[in-house]
Amino acid sequence: MDRALVRRLSNIAFVILTAIATLIALTALVLTLWSLLSRGIGGLDTKIFTMTQPAPGSEGGLSNAIMGSLIMCGIGLAIAVVVGVLAGTWLSEYGGNTRYGQVVRFLNDVLLSAPSILIGLFVYEILVRPFHGFSAWAGGVALAILAMPIVTRTTEDILSLQPSALREAGMALGASRAFVIRKIVWKSARAGLVTGALLGFARISGETAPLLFTALGNQFFSTELTQPMASLPTTIFQFALSAYEDWQRLAWVGALLIAAAVLSINIIGRIVAREARRS
Amino acid sequence: MTDLPSHLSEEVHLAFPPRDALAIEARKLDFFYGKTQALYGVDLPVERNKITALIGPSGCGKSTLLRALNRIYDLYPKQHAVGRILLDGHDVLADRRSLQRLRDRDGGGDDTAMIRSPVDVAGLRARVGMVFQKPTPFPMSIYDNVAFGVRLYQRKSRAEMDQIVEKSLRRAALWDEVKDKLHSSGLGLSGGQQQRLCVARGIAVEPDVLLLDEPASALDPVSTAKLEETLIELRQDFTIVIVTHNLQQAARISNYTGFMYLGRMMEFQPTEELFANPRGQRTRDYVTGRFG
Ligand SMILES: Nc1ncnc2c1ncn2[C@@H]1O[C@H](COP(=O)(O)OP(=O)(O)OP(=O)(O)O)[C@@H](O)[C@H]1O
Ligand SMILES: [Mg+2]
Repeated sequence: MDRALVRRLSNIAFVILTAIATLIALTALVLTLWSLLSRGIGGLDTKIFTMTQPAPGSEGGLSNAIMGSLIMCGIGLAIAVVVGVLAGTWLSEYGGNTRYGQVVRFLNDVLLSAPSILIGLFVYEILVRPFHGFSAWAGGVALAILAMPIVTRTTEDILSLQPSALREAGMALGASRAFVIRKIVWKSARAGLVTGALLGFARISGETAPLLFTALGNQFFSTELTQPMASLPTTIFQFALSAYEDWQRLAWVGALLIAAAVLSINIIGRIVAREARRS
Repeated sequence: MTDLPSHLSEEVHLAFPPRDALAIEARKLDFFYGKTQALYGVDLPVERNKITALIGPSGCGKSTLLRALNRIYDLYPKQHAVGRILLDGHDVLADRRSLQRLRDRDGGGDDTAMIRSPVDVAGLRARVGMVFQKPTPFPMSIYDNVAFGVRLYQRKSRAEMDQIVEKSLRRAALWDEVKDKLHSSGLGLSGGQQQRLCVARGIAVEPDVLLLDEPASALDPVSTAKLEETLIELRQDFTIVIVTHNLQQAARISNYTGFMYLGRMMEFQPTEELFANPRGQRTRDYVTGRFG
């Protein structure tokens, strides 16, 4: 066989392989979404948002879990964004090349891939056991620790991409370094910073394990931060494993809600990024 | 280290304007990127309200010299300068570390007597503006770009600020093109407009000296001509130092020209003199385009 033919054939084979792989990935995604939609959408009504979780066999919704998820994700994201953006800024603008900076970056990368159940156990040891009780605070902190390395990483990456000429131009007008970072560099990188926060949110919105160890769950509606708190993932976990059909149906609805939240967050992220690029 | 190789030292020809006419001046300036030396004992006298051009082959240290004048290199911990940079008689390099380095190089006996207190670096930068090779508009409105530097140092009323912004944009020959969209983003302007915006931003703080590093190299001929006109106008109020690869440009707009080579100032003359009657062999080769 001549070499041109071999090359053509291997080329075709390669294209087919990549196409098959793409198809497999897409199929998995479509099937997941399909089963979510088909089983979740039927149970979706206003009661989901207005009523708390029911006893088996009676009517109810997921309002306690939704509220809990919003509160704890909010706490987690707020802490993670503040700490992560500052840490990423330090790595990119100040200490990134020092020995200490390299250690910090390495540890951050380790944290980035740490199993979430370990984070849950860790927070259990430092915030649940010493205070003799599960709490929303502990849940929020666990989620913060999960999102923080993501925000740190994206912040550093995105700030490093900003041209040094921009910083120099700011300094050349007599501005201090900190002022240039706050008013020019962050502003110029804001789409990336928002993306980092959204990635962090996407990561924590479906986490179950760390919340089981920290916020535990709560069958009642509660906004008390020092008390156990319900959340969508833990409620799904509990309901999906139960023997009651109406609980299982609610679990599907909860799963659909999480998927919808993550999807809309991603879409918002894209719009923000596009708007920021245009302005 | 500041001694020239002998084959070069024969060619150094410096004709300085009178000292008291100088706005800023570098004396025996060495510059280091880490361990690599990029400037060797450079003298640069910059006369007030004149345009001084720096020319020379790529890598000879023009940008380095410019970046030393407002200490923008301070951003990078590995870079440092040794020597004197005098802004109205104040030594810009009079912080402790720089002085120590100077003493290590020259020993105790130098002309310290005539040099007064150091200036603070942020204040220095506000007095020595800089425009870069690539336009660097900030991610904010045209108005805020121009107002940025002013707001750092002064509280102005809205009306005063409006006036400063308009005046700066007019002086940078940009007003007519942007007066209807002052509050839209500076990033939306063309390259040439962005560069003039940077000029406007630089002069809004009324610096004594304006440094420009190949400001026209990314611009088309029309924008370049506009920028040159602007600079000639600005000479009335400011002192300008411009690095350029375009010899015609240097000849057209500058009053003095310095020719640099291998980190040295080889020749410094009134511009007409340098182009009509270059003293050194290398200068002659360079300005006649016979440079190897
Ligand atoms: N950041 C840096 N780190 C190390 N060396 C540098 C750095 N910047 C410049 N140099 C070196 O210093 C010398 C002078 O560089 P400089 O940029 O001042 O030249 P230039 O005259 O402006 O050249 P060009 O006309 O190409 O802009 C060169 O040899 C260059 O390699
Ligand atoms: Mg240069």
